[in-house]
Amino acid sequence: MVELRGVSYQVDRTVILHDITTRFQPNRFNVILGPNGAGKSTLLRVATGLLQPTAGDVRYGDQVVSSFSATDLARKRAVLSQHVELAFALTVEDVALMGRYPHYERVPSRRDRDIVQQALALVGMDDKRRQQYPTLSGGEQQKVQLARVLAQIWNDGDGAEHTYLFLDEPTTSLDVHYQIHLLDVARGLLHHDCTIVAILHDLNVAFQYGDVFFVMDAGRLAHVATAAAEVSRDLIERVFQVQAHRIHDPDTGDAVWRFALQSNGRRGGTGT
Amino acid sequence: MLKHLSFRQTYWLLGVLLVVAIVASAAIGAFSFTPAQMVRYLGQAAGWLPAVPGDTLGRNVLLGLRLPRVFVAGLTGAVLGVSGTLMQGLFRNPIVEPGLVGTSAGAALGAALVFVFGSGTALAFTHPLGSFAVPVAAFIVGFAATMLVHRLSTSFGKVNVFTLLLAGIAVNAVCGAGTGFLSYIARDPQARNITFWNLGTFTTADWRGVELIGVFFGLSFIWALRYGKALNALMLGENEAAYLGVNPRRLILWLLVVNTIMVAVATAMVGVIAFVGLVIPHVLRMMKSADYNFLLPASALLGAVLMEVIDIVARVIIPPAELPIGIITAVVGAPVFLGILLRQTRRGGSGFYG
Repeated sequence: MVELRGVSYQVDRTVILHDITTRFQPNRFNVILGPNGAGKSTLLRVATGLLQPTAGDVRYGDQVVSSFSATDLARKRAVLSQHVELAFALTVEDVALMGRYPHYERVPSRRDRDIVQQALALVGMDDKRRQQYPTLSGGEQQKVQLARVLAQIWNDGDGAEHTYLFLDEPTTSLDVHYQIHLLDVARGLLHHDCTIVAILHDLNVAFQYGDVFFVMDAGRLAHVATAAAEVSRDLIERVFQVQAHRIHDPDTGDAVWRFALQSNGRRGGTGT
Repeated sequence: MLKHLSFRQTYWLLGVLLVVAIVASAAIGAFSFTPAQMVRYLGQAAGWLPAVPGDTLGRNVLLGLRLPRVFVAGLTGAVLGVSGTLMQGLFRNPIVEPGLVGTSAGAALGAALVFVFGSGTALAFTHPLGSFAVPVAAFIVGFAATMLVHRLSTSFGKVNVFTLLLAGIAVNAVCGAGTGFLSYIARDPQARNITFWNLGTFTTADWRGVELIGVFFGLSFIWALRYGKALNALMLGENEAAYLGVNPRRLILWLLVVNTIMVAVATAMVGVIAFVGLVIPHVLRMMKSADYNFLLPASALLGAVLMEVIDIVARVIIPPAELPIGIITAVVGAPVFLGILLRQTRRGGSGFYG
C-alpha cells in the first residue's frame, strides 16, 4: 500500500500539490487522471520518492519513503517513464540488466542474468537481446525499458516483499498494439504482489485497464473512484473542459467515451 | 573489430599493445637502445649484472631521462583516457573531454598561479609541502572551472550541447587569458615556460613526476571503477538513474572530484594535452562497447598506448628538435571532434554508434 498523508509540493511560491491525503490500493491498478498541469507527474514523482514533499509524507506499508536507502527503495519500486533515449549504443540485454543494478555490486549473479532473460522473454524481446538499442523502433525500445523495470522488481516467490510499479505516461507515442501489450504485461504483475500506480492520458484505455481512479484537478484530488462506472460524466466534463458522451460497445456492453470541445459544441476534438 | 572478443580478452590485447608501445618508446629517440642494451642497463641498475664503465652514459640516459618520460607519458595517456570517459558519462555526450569542459585549462591556470606567485614566495619548490602546492592549486581551479561548465550547460537534469560548447569556450577563454596574463607578467624564466607547457610536454619528466601522477592516477582510477554501473544508468537520464538507486547529485560531485584530481596532477606535470580524452572512448565504443564497466579500464590502457605512440612521433618527427605533444593531439583529434559534432547535430543529439 502506498499512502500519502497531507502531501503538498511547491516550488518557490507556486503550489503544485495541495494537501493530498489518499491511499493507492495494494495489488490493484491505480490510475491517476487529470488535465495537463493538474500535478499528476509531480504527484507520481513524490509517490516514487524522487521528489521530497514540502509538507506531509509518503509511506510504503508503514514506513516513510524517505527513510529507505536509495538502493533499498530501488529494490522494491520501479518507474517506467515516457520514451527514453540513450546517448550511446548499448545492447538490449545491457539495458535490461540495468534493472538488476540495485541487486548486485560489481558482477551480476547467475540469478540476475536469469531474471533479465525471463523479463525479456515476458515482453517478447528475448530474440533481439544482442541487438543495439538505438536500432530498435520506439515501440520495441519501450518494451526493453519495460523489461528493465520488470527485472528491477522481479518477484519469483522466494519470500520476497511487496513491490511497487509506477508508470509515468508510458504509452505516450506508442501505437495501439504496443500500448495494449505494455498494459497487459503490467497488469500481469498484479498477481505477483505488486501495486501499480499509472498516469494514463487516454481515458478509454485508462478505464479499460484501471481498477481505482484518482482524478486530479489544479493540484488537488478531485475524486477517487473504485470502478470506472463511478467516474461521472459531470466530473470529466468539468475537469477536462470537454463535452463527454458515453456510448456502449454492442458486443461487450463496455462503456466507450467520445469527447468534443465545450464552448461552441464543435465536434472533431475527439480522441483524448 | 573487437566485437567477438570478451571484455577480458580485449584488456589482454590492449595490455600486450601497451607493453610493446612502452618498449618501443623506451628504445626510440635521439639516443636509441637495442632491447639487449636496455636489459643490460636495467640489470646493472638493479645490481644483478656487473657495472661496465662504458655503459654509464647509456644507462644514465635510459634510467634518468627516457624511462621516466615513458612512464609519465603512459600515465598521462591513461589519465586523459579515463577522464574523457568519466566526463562523457557525466555530460552524456561524446564530444566532451577534459580540454573542452574546462578541467585542463583551469588546472593549468591553477598551476601557473603557483609557478608565478609561488616561486616569489619560495612556496612552490623549496617548502616541504611545495611539491603539492602546484597540483593542489591545479585541482582547485580545475574543479571550479569544470563545475561551472557543468552548471551552465545543465538545466532540469538535461545537458544542452550548444550551451555546453559555449560555456566550455567561455570558461576556457577566461582560464586561458589568466594563464596568458601570468606568463606575461612572469619574470622567472621557469614561469616563461608556461607558454611551451601550455602545449604539453614530456621533456621535464622525472621520477618524482612518475610517482606523483602514478599515485594519484592509481587512487582515482580505483575509485572511478566503482562508478561503471552508475554511469551506465545515467545514460538513461538523471531521473531514471535515481529510480535505479543512484543519487545523481552525489554521483556528479564525486565524478568531478575524481576526474579533477587525476587531470590536475597530470596537467601540473606535463601541461595541457587536448583531444586524447575525446578520441579514446570514441574509438573504444566503435570497436567494442559503450558499457562503462568496460570503457573505464579499457580507456586507461588505450590512452596509455596512444600517448606512447604520440610521444615517439613527437621525438622523431623533426630531429633534433621535439614537437610539443599538444600540436600532434590537436592535428589528430580536431577532425574526430568535428566529425562527432556534425553527426550529433545532424541526428538531433542522439543515437551514436548505432
